[in-house]
Amino acid sequence: MGKRMFIEGNVAIGFGAANADCQAFFGYPITPQNEIIEWFAREFPKMGRIFVQTQSELGSINMLYGAAATGIRAMTSTSSPGWSLMQETVSDMANAELPCVIVNVQRGGPGGGPIRHAQMDYLQCTRGGGHGDYRNIVLAPASAQECCDLMQLAFYLADKYRNPVVVMSDAIIGRLRETVEVERIEFGPVPDKDWAVKGKANHKDGKRRLVEHSGDLFGRYPSYQALLQRLQQKIRQMQESELRYEDYEAEDAKLILVAYGYTARVAKEAVNIARAEGIKTGLIRLITAWPFPHQVIREKAVRGCKFLVVEDSLGQVVEDVRCAVEGRAEVHLVGILDRHIPTDGGMILPDKVFDKIKEIQ
Amino acid sequence: MLKGEVVIDEEQCQGCGYCVKFCSRQCIVIAGDKFNKQGFLLPSVVKPEECSACGICAWMCPAAAIEVYKVSSKAQV
Amino acid sequence: MNEEGKVVTKQMIAGRPKLLVRQTAGFVYCPGCHEPVTARAIAEALDEIGMGDRTIGVFDIGCNSFLLGLLDIDAILTPHGRPPDMATAVKRVHPDNIVFTVQGDGGLLSIGADPLLGALTRAEKITIIMLNNAVYGTTGGQMAPTSLVGQKTTTTPQGRDMTQTGFPAHAAEMIATFKGAAYSARGAFNTPANYQRTRRYIKTAFQKQMNKVGLSFVEVLCACPANWRLSPTESLKWIEEKMIPEFPLGEFKNVAKIE
Repeated sequence: MGKRMFIEGNVAIGFGAANADCQAFFGYPITPQNEIIEWFAREFPKMGRIFVQTQSELGSINMLYGAAATGIRAMTSTSSPGWSLMQETVSDMANAELPCVIVNVQRGGPGGGPIRHAQMDYLQCTRGGGHGDYRNIVLAPASAQECCDLMQLAFYLADKYRNPVVVMSDAIIGRLRETVEVERIEFGPVPDKDWAVKGKANHKDGKRRLVEHSGDLFGRYPSYQALLQRLQQKIRQMQESELRYEDYEAEDAKLILVAYGYTARVAKEAVNIARAEGIKTGLIRLITAWPFPHQVIREKAVRGCKFLVVEDSLGQVVEDVRCAVEGRAEVHLVGILDRHIPTDGGMILPDKVFDKIKEIQ
Repeated sequence: MLKGEVVIDEEQCQGCGYCVKFCSRQCIVIAGDKFNKQGFLLPSVVKPEECSACGICAWMCPAAAIEVYKVSSKAQV
Repeated sequence: MNEEGKVVTKQMIAGRPKLLVRQTAGFVYCPGCHEPVTARAIAEALDEIGMGDRTIGVFDIGCNSFLLGLLDIDAILTPHGRPPDMATAVKRVHPDNIVFTVQGDGGLLSIGADPLLGALTRAEKITIIMLNNAVYGTTGGQMAPTSLVGQKTTTTPQGRDMTQTGFPAHAAEMIATFKGAAYSARGAFNTPANYQRTRRYIKTAFQKQMNKVGLSFVEVLCACPANWRLSPTESLKWIEEKMIPEFPLGEFKNVAKIE
């Protein structure tokens, strides 16, 4: 039985990481995730774990590279502008095949943007984010409970695939206080980390280990193509095995809403309102934003469903849905321009989504 | 005869108290009896006759809410 | 004419400097903050040397960003830490303008360290003004490079531990060691005398730029009542008793020529 707490999503991230035996946190202040760095500043020293406030997001991600190279579970946390700053090293970590967890509590953009919520980093997170061809697993919590649970899943998946995993939250989920059962989740065993750097004396065979992000320059792979083949294989494995989504009333629905994070909760409410009026709608809530449920959506398109994407952006998830339906279905969008007020505090609200549902019918 | 006059822009004032602290003649006081729309307690010049127009209250005001005037009078010729 | 037959005249001897804009929506800084006082000193200095129309401000993210609404000069808002880079470019394009930055201690000495070193080693003829409030202000008071040993911040809740996080950085002294620096000084606004001195330091820094000597730097110890969790007048005391012993005031370098 876990410990029951009334905490905000950002704080739940900390508890989740601690339960996953994360040993190191590197971070830099940026709104709206300062509660995360402050939690780690308070709690990690008490647990004898590593906490460093870095000099910038570049410092955070490069320290994470270093820690991950030693094989320990480590993470950083940032918000959208900091996430942008980190991309070169994330690309490096994908090449070097380093397990790591990066939390991005999305805020508005582009640019410095408002410090409040938005969902505009979807394309960047799900396409790797940096240069070169790789993918991050992207987990999208829609509650403080999921912040705690998906963090634990993130560390497991990072180790399983030796790949970066992004936990893509937003300022609303981060700052919303809810009841959370903080419980340690056990996953299966993870591969050995014999590749990690820890001093030759600490290796059974006494031979040196190298962590580098070229791939073939030091013999890790016999050729550049061999590296790419491994990355391709990894991408396929992650797609086949790690898809997670929630099907809410979508079984017999003719209009399917697609959403993640805070807008998924809004969409759920709109589905309830619509069902009460006899309109058969349902929601596919992305729990992994990558892998994306292409097949699930394609099947629904074949059955004649229409789609309504609800996302707090100018249209990013909608591109994946359009791709998945392969031209067979209508795809609509309720986006950031449909917020209830034009200031940065505006939100997409259920009544707006319901209006669109009625319009599409 | 006044030597100096202090005019405080009450809309800009934030009640920080620097003018009270730095006036060398203790001319200004935050009595707690008035506040502006933003809720800041406003200062009052309670000893206008003591003002020497040194200008220090104006320099130290973060909101640049104070104007200090030197007042002089001369006989009409 | 008053009742005694005398003419009363009033002459304003202190008020809002020309280049400081009156905020119509209410004043945006925290009560007692020394950032707008720095803006005042900058405005007065620019006015004295007559360069208000030929000045470009380069302001970092953070509380400094509000200067775009406060100072009546051309200005650029930069990504965090990058003002020395932008200022370098702007000065190369407009060498006849005064180009100056305003940055926090976190923005200059942490994320801004590589732009700072670049500008110093290239001896860019820009002016950097660093506001030292010993915390990251805008994000709620986390430890900064200049936080004092033992200082409680939101990321050092037990106090800054020197065995884990080292010691406060001294920007003015460090910058004075670079050949490309023409001027380096540290001021404060905790007393009227210090206000006048610091205003002179800022004016001198601008004059170094006009004389094309090298990079000029002024560090200003700034009250931050909101993040220090003190009242404005208590903050002045903290500056006097805690900050000034650690960060002495004065000019650390002042050369007329670099060769």
